[in-house]
Amino acid sequence: MWVYSFMQNALFGGIIVATVCGIVSVFIILRRMGFAAHALGHMSLTGSCASALLGIPAIVGQLILNVVIAIVMGLMGDKIKKNDLSIGVVLTFVLGLGTYFLFLFQNNYAGSVMAILFGNIFAVSTTQIWQLLGLAIIILLIMIVISRPLIFASIDPVVAESRNVSVKLLSIIFFLVLAITVSMACQVVGALLVFVLLIIPGAIGIQWGESIYRIIAISVSVANLSLVVALHLSYYLDLPVSFCLTMLLCFTYSIGIVKLIVRNTK
Amino acid sequence: MIICKNLELGYSCKNVTPAFDLEINDNQWIGIIGKNGTGKSTFLKTILGVIPIVRGDLTILGQRPGKCNNLISYIAQEREINLADRMSGTSLITSSFYGWKYGLPWIGKKLKNKVEELIELVGATNYAHQSFATLSGGQKKRIYLAQALVNQPQILLLDEPLADLDPHAKQHFIEALQKIHQHQKLGLMIISHDMHEIASHLDAFIHFSGNGVHYCPTIECVKEDTYVGL
Repeated sequence: MWVYSFMQNALFGGIIVATVCGIVSVFIILRRMGFAAHALGHMSLTGSCASALLGIPAIVGQLILNVVIAIVMGLMGDKIKKNDLSIGVVLTFVLGLGTYFLFLFQNNYAGSVMAILFGNIFAVSTTQIWQLLGLAIIILLIMIVISRPLIFASIDPVVAESRNVSVKLLSIIFFLVLAITVSMACQVVGALLVFVLLIIPGAIGIQWGESIYRIIAISVSVANLSLVVALHLSYYLDLPVSFCLTMLLCFTYSIGIVKLIVRNTK
Repeated sequence: MIICKNLELGYSCKNVTPAFDLEINDNQWIGIIGKNGTGKSTFLKTILGVIPIVRGDLTILGQRPGKCNNLISYIAQEREINLADRMSGTSLITSSFYGWKYGLPWIGKKLKNKVEELIELVGATNYAHQSFATLSGGQKKRIYLAQALVNQPQILLLDEPLADLDPHAKQHFIEALQKIHQHQKLGLMIISHDMHEIASHLDAFIHFSGNGVHYCPTIECVKEDTYVGL
């Protein structure tokens, strides 16, 4: 199956996205930003619909919209965690716009809506792979630079602030990283299922890892392994990749839950 | 170590204390006592520069508040620890090592040894490697103490560390403080409502009351300052 160029592109694109999501998802969980990540994923629907209407690549519209929203969320700092309502209101407003764009878009390109919502990894072009690789390198460089204060501020924000760690600046930078990651993941799993790669790998890492390095390593490995297996399943069983990936990750997560139940009952 | 001149504490439009003068020497161990709402925690947060000064001057280690926080460790009264379920107290201590510096956190042998030394110093060897989430309140407080010492601070600020602890856990915590006092040269400011339990290890006291903020060289002096909690 790897002789086909669309499968090779799917593999390369998928590995780039899974690696970045595996790293970022650990911090999403530690910083309790699940709802913000979920909202950014859904809002990228509006970005991609607007791009389609303007005739520009979907990732460009998603990036612009997500980055603007991420800066606003980052400026709100800790308040965003304590006030889900404000995210909900912004999400509703942006999704409302997205619905209208979708309506206009559907009239011209019927059928492509599914690709925005659920992603189409087999449609990833060589140009898109280079775009994804460029964005991944930017994210990895940012994460290397901010990793130490980000870990400190994520685990112990009060003491980090007392030690002159710029918690608000880190919040803005991390939201920007998240915005770019969401835009990348949408190319693979779509706007509706972006949560799959942004939450579950990190959650599995946390179930099994004892140190931050181990948690990240487990998260990245699980995301990549699931993606490769999902591509195989999709190819041989003729199933959607997003579906296979979701089921595999959820199944792996449930193993951790079962292990916990067994340990607690002993 | 800390010099206050005509200092008024409070929030943007509300004064918590009247103006006061204080001078705390290097490596002094100070107990801060007073009723709730008299400005004790506000004083520590002002030292850290988290809350701005209302009026007057405050100098810490020769610098303005917030400018030398890398030399100050603070154990907050309330804190939000976002450790993953299986992460240990050791992970918490390690994560704060030079946590304000950019770059990758490198956990070398030297750091590992230092963390182990601190864990031993606070008497947390038996449980520091266990999941932090499963530790008792007293055990967590001793991990916080080790975390506070990881960057060799010159001043340690403790905001009600004995609150919510049973007598046994309090005793262990005080013993850990005693050991720190013997092994390390640093100044300490501790807020507590159980000052009688720790008073013998302290050099002086600062009494926050409705009448103002007063420096008391002995615990008896605080009693004379009409503090009713002793």
